[in-house]
Amino acid sequence: MLSLGVLGSAALTLALALSVYAAVAGVLGAVRRDARLQTSARLTAIAVFLAATTAIVVMQAALLTDDFTVKYVAEHSRIESPVWVKVVTLWAALEGSVLLWAWLLTAYTAVLALTAPNTILRPWALVVMNVVAIFFLSVVTFAANPFIVLASPPLDGPGANPLLQNHWMMAVHPVLMYLGFVGLTVPFAFAMAALITRRPGTEWMRLTRRWTLLGWGFLTAAIVTGGWWSYEVLGWGGYWAWDPVENVSILPWFTATAFLHSIQVQERRRMLKSWNLLLIVLTFSLTLLGTFLIRSGVVSSVHAFGDGPVGPYFLTFFVIVALASISLVVWRWDQIRDRADLDAVVSREGAFIGVNVLFLAMAFAVLLGTVFPLFVEATTGARVTVGAPFFDAITLPVWMVVLLLMGVGPLLPWRRAETQTLRKNLLFMTAALVLAVVIAFAFGMRKPYPLLTLGLAGWNLASVGLLLAGAIVPRARITGRSLGEVFTRYAFEHKRRVGSMVVHLGVIVIAIGIVGSGGYRVDQQLRLAYGERVPYQGYELQALRPFAEQEAGRASVGVEVAVWRGERQITVLTPRINRFGTNQMTVPTPSVHYTAGHDLYLALAGAVDPAQDFVIIRAVTSPLITWIWFGGAIIVLGTTYALSPGDRPLRRRVSAEAPAGAEA
Amino acid sequence: MKRRVARRLGIAPRRVVYALLGIGVLGVAGFMISQALNTALVYFILPNEYAQQPDQFENRRIRLGGLVAPESVAFNDQDLQLTFLVTDGIQSYRVEHVGAPPELFRENAGVVIEGSFDADVFVSDNLLIKHSEVYEAPEDGHIDIEELRRSLQ
Repeated sequence: MLSLGVLGSAALTLALALSVYAAVAGVLGAVRRDARLQTSARLTAIAVFLAATTAIVVMQAALLTDDFTVKYVAEHSRIESPVWVKVVTLWAALEGSVLLWAWLLTAYTAVLALTAPNTILRPWALVVMNVVAIFFLSVVTFAANPFIVLASPPLDGPGANPLLQNHWMMAVHPVLMYLGFVGLTVPFAFAMAALITRRPGTEWMRLTRRWTLLGWGFLTAAIVTGGWWSYEVLGWGGYWAWDPVENVSILPWFTATAFLHSIQVQERRRMLKSWNLLLIVLTFSLTLLGTFLIRSGVVSSVHAFGDGPVGPYFLTFFVIVALASISLVVWRWDQIRDRADLDAVVSREGAFIGVNVLFLAMAFAVLLGTVFPLFVEATTGARVTVGAPFFDAITLPVWMVVLLLMGVGPLLPWRRAETQTLRKNLLFMTAALVLAVVIAFAFGMRKPYPLLTLGLAGWNLASVGLLLAGAIVPRARITGRSLGEVFTRYAFEHKRRVGSMVVHLGVIVIAIGIVGSGGYRVDQQLRLAYGERVPYQGYELQALRPFAEQEAGRASVGVEVAVWRGERQITVLTPRINRFGTNQMTVPTPSVHYTAGHDLYLALAGAVDPAQDFVIIRAVTSPLITWIWFGGAIIVLGTTYALSPGDRPLRRRVSAEAPAGAEA
Repeated sequence: MKRRVARRLGIAPRRVVYALLGIGVLGVAGFMISQALNTALVYFILPNEYAQQPDQFENRRIRLGGLVAPESVAFNDQDLQLTFLVTDGIQSYRVEHVGAPPELFRENAGVVIEGSFDADVFVSDNLLIKHSEVYEAPEDGHIDIEELRRSLQ
């Protein structure tokens, strides 16, 4: 009897066997310089992808047809759930999300096998990708197989984790996260290939520049959508709580951001070779370590993804990857020592190195804070958590310096800055900083961090203005064209540069959103008697009536609350409590009135009791919080622009690299 | 070989400055981190552990775990003041919390409250219900401390 479970397991086993073959053939092909074996390995990578795709399709079929003989479906799906919930249930629990991760990895590997230029690095990079795929496929085949066939299937399942069903954002956030993680595996694979083939020059990073940016863009988008999900679902009116799950997602982001900047130093100045290699090793290892930390249950988290069987596997693979790649770096140390030295601290590379150190320091501090409870428990037996104040106290001052450097860095030339231009630029920027602080002060802001952040926003805006002016005005003067025309042409020809400006602009917008919502948030519980208008933060809130709704797989109880401003009714908000299927867990679901200036966020604080003539709600106003989501969109836009084809290639430097394909 | 040594010597002073700067920055960072960790560390304890060492935990932010003692809950819906006794079977303390009781708040429910002790009253600003299926409050009043601790983690 051929059931979906058997079919899925077979597809996974096939994918695993093929990826083992692809790795072995790849090694042999690369060592023996055998073009046929290399081609075989490349084609096999595509076959691995097809087999993994079959497993995904089978799982989706099982979810959509409610095939409860498949263990994963029985444990995480439910007949009456809407179709979109069934589709995203694939990544709503451990086994499915590892399957998704493995599948995306095989997809990237297949794309690389098809499109990567035929250099000496390609076979080895594919080997590394395949080895990583072997790990994920083994985990999903042996340790966390979602396709296990149940002898006595239940008639219906419990459904997906209520917190995940509660918002459509959950459909995109995990996928973006894995796309980011997998995207950053590509530069790691090429870095390893560069070390193995003794070519630790800039070739590996040139080949993977787009992949790095793509992975970084996805990771950024994942973190921002994750924050938005928390805001819309968790009901406390915030978006970031320094919870372990959040921390381990930002750790690789810190190192990847540092990497994005430091590879430019190597491309231009031939410095930081070993640093870049270590950074990409660190970034990839941190994705594994993070998965271990949150999936093994060693650190407790409000997200409660709970104990799974995969923890030890991820830890082992993390140790192997870290040891192997660091040994490679040490082994090739003679080749990757920097010959060039920093000419001057005040230079583009100086700023980039500075920002690198800062990002690494933040990564270190956040990692320390995340694992510190483990040390304390191991040494003293006491149960502790490291609260948000620690992470705020450490990261906020560092972010201020990052924002400062973000304004200066792009204006500085490589090697050495000319003092006069620099002084003039700094004067402009300082004026903008002071102006922004004065305006913020006039509007009543007194807290130091928000004031400083707004000042630095002014500083950075001035910096972007100076950058554009410096690029466009001379061109317009020489060619006699209009400024608009020159700008369009400049933006078209310098996509990476303009894209980076847009991304930096997005960072400023997010920073403003963070200090506004973090520094000036009002959070209060209110007793609303039905019909009565209760003043709150310039609004009047009027509870109209309780309601109950029954939808597919979901039951809601809530209250309609009219929001008044003066005599005008702005909107009716419906904070509610959802219950999914037979699950006892209730999910308080807030209702938000979004505006550009601030959000009004209402959540039910307790039970809605029909016998009571009042209801207690939690009301939160967060100034400028929408700017965070908007800034995230700007960053995605800037990254997409920088990635769009047609950028003028960087002037080739004469180097000792052999012409592409010389050896293959 | 000779040239390399000479070059090394030539740039040595700058490297020394960088190294000293680096050590200085690391030292300051280490000091800041240890200070911040020390103040932000939140201990998770049960009522009887507080009773043993009140000096160590008083006026310090902690997470207190326990069960809501039966017949101890009072909620004033005018000033939104919630009071109850939290107990681990050995020791009980009075808890004061501003805010409505959450949906699943009931007698014998496992709770984790965050706040600090003011004399013998725990002033809480965050109340979490642990609706664990693992631990069921016993009928006869005997509570297994270790099991309770695990269920509240």
